[in-house]
Amino acid sequence: MTAAIEVRGLRKTYRPAFGGRAIDALAGIDFAVQPGELFGLLGPNGAGKTTTVKILLGLTHATSGEASLLGLPASDPESRRRVGYLPEGHRFPGYLTARQTLSVFGRMSGVDHRTLKARIPGLLERVKLADWIDVKVKKFSKGMTQRLGLASALVHDPEVLLLDEPTDGVDPVGRREIRDLLRAEASRGRAVLLNSHLLSEIELTCDRVAVLRKGKVAAMGTVEELTKKREEKISSNGYKLVASPLSEELLSDFFERGASPERVNGHVRVLARDAAHLNQLVDATRARGALLTELTPEKSSLEDVFVDLVRAGDPPSDSPSSPSKKSESAA
Amino acid sequence: MRALAANIEEVFREAAARWTLLAYFALSSLFILLFAVAVNLDVVNGALAGAKIFGANVHMGRESVDLDKLVLGFESGFAGFLYVVGTFLAIFATAHLVPRLMEKGTVDLYLSRPVGRVPLLLSRYLGGVLLSASNLLYLLGSMWLLVIWKTRLVHPRFLLAAGIILFGIAALMAFAFLVGTLTSSTAVSIMATFAVFFLSIVLANLHGHTAMFSSEWAVWLVNGLYWIFPKIVDIGRAVVGLVSGENGPIRDRGALALSPFLSTGLFGLVSLTLACLRFRRKDF
Repeated sequence: MTAAIEVRGLRKTYRPAFGGRAIDALAGIDFAVQPGELFGLLGPNGAGKTTTVKILLGLTHATSGEASLLGLPASDPESRRRVGYLPEGHRFPGYLTARQTLSVFGRMSGVDHRTLKARIPGLLERVKLADWIDVKVKKFSKGMTQRLGLASALVHDPEVLLLDEPTDGVDPVGRREIRDLLRAEASRGRAVLLNSHLLSEIELTCDRVAVLRKGKVAAMGTVEELTKKREEKISSNGYKLVASPLSEELLSDFFERGASPERVNGHVRVLARDAAHLNQLVDATRARGALLTELTPEKSSLEDVFVDLVRAGDPPSDSPSSPSKKSESAA
Repeated sequence: MRALAANIEEVFREAAARWTLLAYFALSSLFILLFAVAVNLDVVNGALAGAKIFGANVHMGRESVDLDKLVLGFESGFAGFLYVVGTFLAIFATAHLVPRLMEKGTVDLYLSRPVGRVPLLLSRYLGGVLLSASNLLYLLGSMWLLVIWKTRLVHPRFLLAAGIILFGIAALMAFAFLVGTLTSSTAVSIMATFAVFFLSIVLANLHGHTAMFSSEWAVWLVNGLYWIFPKIVDIGRAVVGLVSGENGPIRDRGALALSPFLSTGLFGLVSLTLACLRFRRKDF
């Protein structure tokens, strides 16, 4: 089966016009997104997420490597006929109404006037903008503009969706509606590539994610796979322990037993190496006369995975090249 | 084709939403209205026996004036005036087309559609030329009809002058597009295009007087630049020459020579080609 989106050995080097140091925005990345899959692209600022999406859409030229959409090279404008794109910080002409906006961009995607006339009201209904169909875009709030952007990405019924921060400026209810809409598109066999800083959104929406760091894929897999890997790597697991009273003596006991206790909003977070160690901590709690009311294992989140991966790529704080070290030596 | 038509339509919509274009049409309409109301001619046997401008009688002398000559004089003068004013207004009204397209958040919306970059830019250019053509036709056409109404004289050459004016505008607009792709700035596009306009007038005057230069390289530079730049003065003379025909000044009679058109067309073509190349290679 042809991948909906495929990237192989993709590199992009930005060379300043008047000399200076070249910057490797992408240092050879590979991934593929299949039809019906919701794929998240994560990474800190400057990791190469937007550059990847821009290369896929022909907005930026790759230095080397391959990028294709539905089997066609990304450099071919025809590859974009079945692709919907929502750019970050998009600016629709303010003098157009929602209907005119979708009509202009729909026709630019090759859809005929009659089809658009029938499709646009339903599409605006889907993104909850039906009441604003003949209102000029300049009167729209940020969230409404974002919904219109989503409608514009869907107007030609594309097979691939590339969305850059689709929930930016959208309220929580709207976010859920957008998530539901994206799931509905994926269930129709549409491939969705989501580029977002909101890790919780990605965690809730995507089937698979890739974390980019310094222009390379640092990790890729399902959210479960990535969090499980992290839990396997770490030597002790965190637990939320709620007991009353949580005295200082009890915390000292936990500390002596190597549980690294930490008070968090009325409860204590402890680290246990294994089941035996955890039971020792429970015994210590009871021995101090405290009543145990809750003991919950902490699950690794996508955010934990992300932070670990990003930190792993940073130079260690005691390395000679770290900025803090440099400033200390200078002082 | 559908995508390109949508893009051209978008140029017109954008222009309609801008005050510059509305101001242009409003000023043009005011000018036409003033002419229609203010000028009253008394034509007897094809000659002008009397005239009133804003209600005041114009002294005609003992002899009646040849109306055909008078109207041709007016039309050729007006066409020349419109060549300058129309070019200025056209550049003002269209110089934003490329910088606006290249704005962050806008260019992504257009380039993510299945349209090549060069066709996208060229459809924008075509939209700009069509926009200028509609403005010119409105003004020239209205004046032409008014003259027919007032004098019963029909001079189709006056209307044909719009073609030459549009040719000059198209060449300068191509240059404005090139500057737009290089700088992404509307202000710089306008300034650079007007600089070319004025410099070409200066070069046209210097070109005929190379004896005043003391050094060989200065002559070479002036002649070289003269042939590179669009022939603004020659095109202007061609406009007047076309309308006035045999009745115009002697200097304008041979003005419809081919070489100024060829070199101006080449200037526009090279500018547009360079603009396309730049736009095609640019990373957004």
